Amino acid sequence: MNRLVVEGLHAGYGAVTVLRDVNLEVREGELVALLGMNGNGKSTLLNCIMGFVRPTSGRVLLEWEGETIELSRSAAHETTRRGVAYVPEGRRLAPNLTVEENLMLAGGSGRGKAKLKENLGFCYEMFPILDERRRQLSSTLSGGQQQMLAIARALMTSPRIMVVDEPSVGLAPIVVEQVISTIRTLQETTNMTILMAEQSFFQAIEVASRAYVLSHGRIIHTFDQKVDPASSEEIRSAMMGIA
Amino acid sequence: MVVLDLVLNALATGLMLGSIYALLALGLAITFGILHIPNVAHPAIVIAGAYAVVMTNRYGVDPVLAAVLWMIPFYMLGILFYEFYARSFESRGGGNTLQSLTLFFGASLVIEVALVVAYGTDLRSVSVGYVGSSLRLGFVAIPYRFLIPALITPVVVFLLWLYLTRTNVGLAIRAVAHDERAVSVSGVNPAAIKRHAFGIATALAVIAGAALVITGPIDPFAGRIHIGRVFAVVVLAGMGTIPGTLAAGIIIGIAESLVMSFMSPSWAPGVAFAILLATLALKPTGLFGAGR
Repeated sequence: MNRLVVEGLHAGYGAVTVLRDVNLEVREGELVALLGMNGNGKSTLLNCIMGFVRPTSGRVLLEWEGETIELSRSAAHETTRRGVAYVPEGRRLAPNLTVEENLMLAGGSGRGKAKLKENLGFCYEMFPILDERRRQLSSTLSGGQQQMLAIARALMTSPRIMVVDEPSVGLAPIVVEQVISTIRTLQETTNMTILMAEQSFFQAIEVASRAYVLSHGRIIHTFDQKVDPASSEEIRSAMMGIA
Repeated sequence: MVVLDLVLNALATGLMLGSIYALLALGLAITFGILHIPNVAHPAIVIAGAYAVVMTNRYGVDPVLAAVLWMIPFYMLGILFYEFYARSFESRGGGNTLQSLTLFFGASLVIEVALVVAYGTDLRSVSVGYVGSSLRLGFVAIPYRFLIPALITPVVVFLLWLYLTRTNVGLAIRAVAHDERAVSVSGVNPAAIKRHAFGIATALAVIAGAALVITGPIDPFAGRIHIGRVFAVVVLAGMGTIPGTLAAGIIIGIAESLVMSFMSPSWAPGVAFAILLATLALKPTGLFGAGR
């Protein structure tokens, strides 16, 4: 089975431990939500998966098409080239490049290179607004459009898995809905495997097939909507640490 | 008629001088303008490149050809030097500008001293057939020793611009100083990109060195008068704009040349600084800069 596995992960910054014994799994074709309030370690976990943060112990493995790659040993650009694309919090676009240049930069190296034209066409079809503004600097886009561009940039790398960090941050509620529904559409039409961190859990659990709740650096709950549908109230309580 | 003659000659000289200034500044447009590394050693590297050209020219090799050949060793030296810089400064929590300035200032002194030790303080020049003759166009006499180097700049600027806008590595170079993470998540190693860009800037210094030594003889300290000028060109152009660098160089060259002809040659070195200060006060983003 193709999957991404996090095994017994501990991580922190200096003397501060942020993640304690985190275990999770994302299987091919799933949309898994990682829920938790601010400061509970969601971003640190995603940064460990990508290779921006080195875990103090534990492993991140990508088991895909018969090979097993240990991601916790590779730098972020290598992780990207191995098929784990990242949509970072705060978008992190190159502000001085145009929309198309941002896409070409991601598409022109590594896995996406062979399918550059095809991927670019797909992105413009999926996000017509980006096609319209392809010659504009990315910094001139609205927040929602920038989020679309960050997602499109991830698609340009021909990913096996997309890791999305808080796509709703800094966006108006109506735009948040658009972004979340874009991610859902993407998942439904391309069967993309997605791990998405979110704190606006109502939206996240609506689209996710499974959800992990992270609190104080530990996974305290795992919800599987197909096996055991949980009410949003139950999930909310878990996130808040009430349950 | 005498005034018109003088103006036309001043403009022609300024145009060529400015084009050569732009070539001197081109490496800095990458290191300072794009990567935001305050490489004050750039003019010293240019002079080191000029010496490499002079020494090769002794064997009868054309200076421009010699410069092209020397680009590869200089690219590699640039990479080594950047690696030293990155490991000693950037990796320890952000490149502190003042510390980096000290490093590059020190590097420029080391380069100068090394040149003195190796070749002495005598003036060195290249011998090519066209130095000494001029092209006459009406009132205007254009010495080939200015014309040839001035013609190199547009070619190099065009090639560099193509590289930075049309290739994947070029896009990464432009993106890296603004957001390293944007480069990482695009599957490109930001550290390698910065190293490569610094190498290119160092390789361009040899071309600039060849241009400089064709215009006239040099000694190991000949880079010093250009330090302020090259920074003025980069800032006036707008940080990181490559075609803007050519325009800015020409503006400063013409301004200097007019001041030299109509006021006094001793004022000329102040012109670039005056323009630099005026740019910082009136339009800090430069003529062609997009701002940040």
